[in-house]
Amino acid sequence: MITGQAITKTFKQRGNVLDSREVRALRGVDFVIPKGGAASFIGESGCGKTTLGRIIAGLESHDTGEITIDGTAMSSLRPRDRQPYFRRIQLIHQDPYSALNPTRTIHQTLNAPLALRAKQTGRSRGWMDERAQEVLSLVGLDAGSVLGRYPHQLSGGMRQRVVIARALTVDPEMLVADEAVSMIDVSLRLGILALLKDLRERLGVSVLFITHDVATARYIGDDGELYVIYRGQVVERGPVDTIISGPVHPYTQSLLSAIPVLHGLEEPGAQPVVPTEALDESHHDEGCLFARRCPFRTGKCESEVPVLGLGEGIPQEHACFHPERRAVVAQPAGR
Amino acid sequence: MTNASTAPGVRIGDLTVVYKTQAGELPAVSGVSLELAPGSITGVVGESGSGKSTLALSLLNAVQSPGRISGGSVEIDGLGDVVGLRGESLRKARGRHIGYVFQAAQNSLNPLKTVGKQLLDLGRSHGVDDLRGLVREAKELLGRMGLDGARVLDSHQHELSGGMRQRVGIMLALVLNAHLVVLDEPTTALDMITQATILRIIREVHEERGLTTLVITHDIGVVAEVADRLAVMYGGRIVEQGPTGAVLGAPSHPYTKGLIKAIPRLVGSLDEARALPGRPPTLATVPTTGCVFRERCAERMDVCDSDDPPALAHGDRIVACHAVGTSEPAQLQEEVA
Repeated sequence: MITGQAITKTFKQRGNVLDSREVRALRGVDFVIPKGGAASFIGESGCGKTTLGRIIAGLESHDTGEITIDGTAMSSLRPRDRQPYFRRIQLIHQDPYSALNPTRTIHQTLNAPLALRAKQTGRSRGWMDERAQEVLSLVGLDAGSVLGRYPHQLSGGMRQRVVIARALTVDPEMLVADEAVSMIDVSLRLGILALLKDLRERLGVSVLFITHDVATARYIGDDGELYVIYRGQVVERGPVDTIISGPVHPYTQSLLSAIPVLHGLEEPGAQPVVPTEALDESHHDEGCLFARRCPFRTGKCESEVPVLGLGEGIPQEHACFHPERRAVVAQPAGR
Repeated sequence: MTNASTAPGVRIGDLTVVYKTQAGELPAVSGVSLELAPGSITGVVGESGSGKSTLALSLLNAVQSPGRISGGSVEIDGLGDVVGLRGESLRKARGRHIGYVFQAAQNSLNPLKTVGKQLLDLGRSHGVDDLRGLVREAKELLGRMGLDGARVLDSHQHELSGGMRQRVGIMLALVLNAHLVVLDEPTTALDMITQATILRIIREVHEERGLTTLVITHDIGVVAEVADRLAVMYGGRIVEQGPTGAVLGAPSHPYTKGLIKAIPRLVGSLDEARALPGRPPTLATVPTTGCVFRERCAERMDVCDSDDPPALAHGDRIVACHAVGTSEPAQLQEEVA
């Protein structure tokens, strides 16, 4: 189980003396990802979802707050002692084209982490070969035809499977998939999503899915927890389908309203929400961060800060003074 | 309302584009016929390697070496067959008659010059005398798209967000008063909310200015939002085309069916969605005989191995599949609804 409490991160942009400014990427985020569970972070680019993913994978430091992995607080350990923990959290990038070394065969790519593993546990070369075949079959690739090939000889979908296979060589506890299907051809996307779901079910690997596309977040499992992140803050949180079927935060509603409607197959939602302005990071920080763009804002929203929590008989947590369910999601067309 | 008097019609006839490779000249687009009715928005959907970008470039006769248009025609009203255009007349046609918003338009601006300077360059290279008028027109267009025109023209590209750059790309494509506009992946790499804004702008500007618009994308959702007609490309061929709603609601070609089933959806059962088996062909792996889709097809028959299915009209559709409408008498001539 991996938990985070009140994680904050501020990036300082240093221009010239007058121009330096701070970007508050994360403003106190809590999360819980149970063993074998699934969570999705969604939001616009720049909302902090990728930064959070990198912090969880140990690739980025955070300013304040605490990450706890299997009950051990990371701040209590020296950096080098954190390594074994973070090694069990593997990041899968958006771009399978740049994630693999083009001069190495798939066999070499998989062998590097396996050799390390074999050294640590005192296993033989035979174990390495066996394990390479095993992880490839786990991701649905035929070892015989793939091992000797170079990345350029594989399609985008196959490359992403190899990247996942490489992550599996270290027996990860969690996979952090950052926009892992956005560069994959449409006809193959579901295959990768189904694979992640399958790995959860068969190996008990938990999956953290980071995306701007809410629809794909459903496919890693309906028991998944959805975190809607806006300007470094979680604004709505709950089971995926609960939020999709009844979003209450106007930002979540804007995201869902923006998803293209497949006319002919679907009818648009009856109450679409469109933000009144485009995202502007330099917006003031007082009150609700979304207030400036919110069509439903009141005076209270501009002065007071809404806190994430349950209330008003709504099943999911939300950070909004005026939560209201709206029919924003397209529904299947009546035949 | 659509101003059909200014919008040109486009007739792509039996177009073939080949790329020279070590294995000889291989077709990226083969025998494609597509008509863009004046004032319509047509969406071309395809996966990587389907030939959709090559098709779009053919409208400008801008296929880069080692590729070349080896056969067919692209007739544009008021221009004639652009396949035959060369040199200066071709250069003038681009921009004046045909506006093109490139894939990743966000990155196609010159980082060293302000948008305004690039606009003036564009005007000069096309012999525009009234540069003030051009700037006025650009400001108006940017204002129409919800931007502060004066500010944007004074900005360098790094000062603009992705969605703003995309709108600058659209402005540059339209500012010379082109009435045929090609948008190649107009919303790729944009956020959902920005994408929705851009798609709304594309639709509105299309109607207000009386354009004929072609949108190239890998995302069926984008086409579903903006296009009147939908053409699905696979392996260098258009396998199905027809009115967008009809094609999405009742697809005919097995590939279209599979593609629509493979879209992650917000509602409905998770198990209904399925990935297509296999993978899309590349230039080198496209079958030279028979149907290009047969390897992944659930309705494969013997004839698919030997004969390339011709594109035939079936009601409101044109479909290239042996399994579609076999009971109907085959019409050999293509008809565009």
